[in-house]
Amino acid sequence: MKHAFLDRYSHLESPVHRLDPRAKLVGFATLVVVCVTTPPRLYAAFVAYLGLEAALIVLSRLPWKHVLKRLLVVLPFIMVVAAFIPFFSKGGGSYNLGPVRISGHGLLILWNVAAKSTVSVLAVIILSSTTPFSDLLGAMEKMRVPRLFTSLLSFTYRYIFVLVDEAQRMRRARDSRGWSGKWLWQAKVVGHMIAALFLRSYERGERVYAAMLARGYGGGGVRTFYAYELGILEAGFAALVALFPLAARLLS
Amino acid sequence: MHHRPAVEIKGLYYAYPDGTPALRGVDLLVEEGESVGIVGPNGAGKSTLLLHLNGILEGRGEVKIFGLPVVKENLREIRRRVGLVFQDPDDQLFSPTVFDDVAFGPLNMGLSREEVAEAVGRALREVGLSGLERKSAFHLSFGQKKRAAIATVLSMNPDLLVLDEPSSNLDPRARRELSELLQGMRVTKIVVTHDLPFVFENCERVVIMDAGKVVADGEVFDVLSDEALLERHGLELPCGFCPSRFERDERKTEKHTES
Repeated sequence: MKHAFLDRYSHLESPVHRLDPRAKLVGFATLVVVCVTTPPRLYAAFVAYLGLEAALIVLSRLPWKHVLKRLLVVLPFIMVVAAFIPFFSKGGGSYNLGPVRISGHGLLILWNVAAKSTVSVLAVIILSSTTPFSDLLGAMEKMRVPRLFTSLLSFTYRYIFVLVDEAQRMRRARDSRGWSGKWLWQAKVVGHMIAALFLRSYERGERVYAAMLARGYGGGGVRTFYAYELGILEAGFAALVALFPLAARLLS
Repeated sequence: MHHRPAVEIKGLYYAYPDGTPALRGVDLLVEEGESVGIVGPNGAGKSTLLLHLNGILEGRGEVKIFGLPVVKENLREIRRRVGLVFQDPDDQLFSPTVFDDVAFGPLNMGLSREEVAEAVGRALREVGLSGLERKSAFHLSFGQKKRAAIATVLSMNPDLLVLDEPSSNLDPRARRELSELLQGMRVTKIVVTHDLPFVFENCERVVIMDAGKVVADGEVFDVLSDEALLERHGLELPCGFCPSRFERDERKTEKHTES
């Protein structure tokens, strides 16, 4: 079965793809922190953040369609909540839109949420689309993120779709035997399926652990092979992505 | 041929935590350079036995690998020398990329970066998967996954290769490729399988297990052409398969001239 992998396009060739993931991690993390702490009225700063991200997308040769698609997956969740704020919030002057009153203060909150989430989500999209997931984990390990945490992420990345496929097969087997989901007693079946899926995952976990032991695993997290080195390009990139937004914010 | 023992098992008993007995007194001797098939009905204890070969399970009785008793102090060395390939490659390939999976064993052995990269390259070349290093195991075909699983232990340079159901779920071409791959490897091999023709092709000796015991042990042709014996233990050759024709094939003579 086909699945949308998180790090699609991460094997393209571009200056951004070639960088040590540590530099990207530091750069984008700073960008996100600077962005979410920017007062919402500094409109020019947000334009600068988006401009920087647009430049990086061009530099990394990512297809625009891919970036927008990913953005559309995440943004609606945030916007559905934020879109109602202008109607219920009070203060900051108000505008009449036919029979509905919109508060200026609420409008500012909406802008704040929309701008900050767009910039942040874009940063994550660029990071994950220019860095293979395994290298991202390697970078986190190098930066002393606890091995337990990186191993957990690594297993999730590896097995999430194995699990989805397994659930998919169970569902097909269930539907093939005439399950309609119309009757209350059939709800019990869903419970059984979840239990079965849990047991299967649990047993797989034990088998995977046995396979790890068989190859000399001795605890202390999974060691990975990290093939990057920090250089002048990395320093430049991290400085640009971290300092440019900072400067834009202070100057605007 | 040197006759040093690779595996010595004497009176091995094992019961699962819930009390179900799985092994009831297994005796088995495998010599270096041998290629042994272990067959038997489901639930005979074959896979359980394999897990004793590198100390993942520990039962009552004696297990020695290349003369080393399987005890805690020796586990590191034993796990390096015994390459255990599990039945489901999705269990064996747990890393984000094929490279990371094949590098897992060598990294645990404490090899340097250059040595690890070298070992991974060699193992992938051997199983014919060079160029797929950066792929996720999820994107491989089933046959490729099986071969990648074998590469994950080849990178550790094992002296004993242990395979659990290597040919299950493979289409004929992938099965043929796997068979050729195994025949090309010069290490001691133990293969657990239901695929009796696969045993004919890849092993000189076969052991039948049933209800936690070894019930027959001998030269492949002798054991597998004994229909009554096979039937007693829930086994049968595929319809139309004729052992005697296989026997006279080039395989036997070729094996003897080689050694």
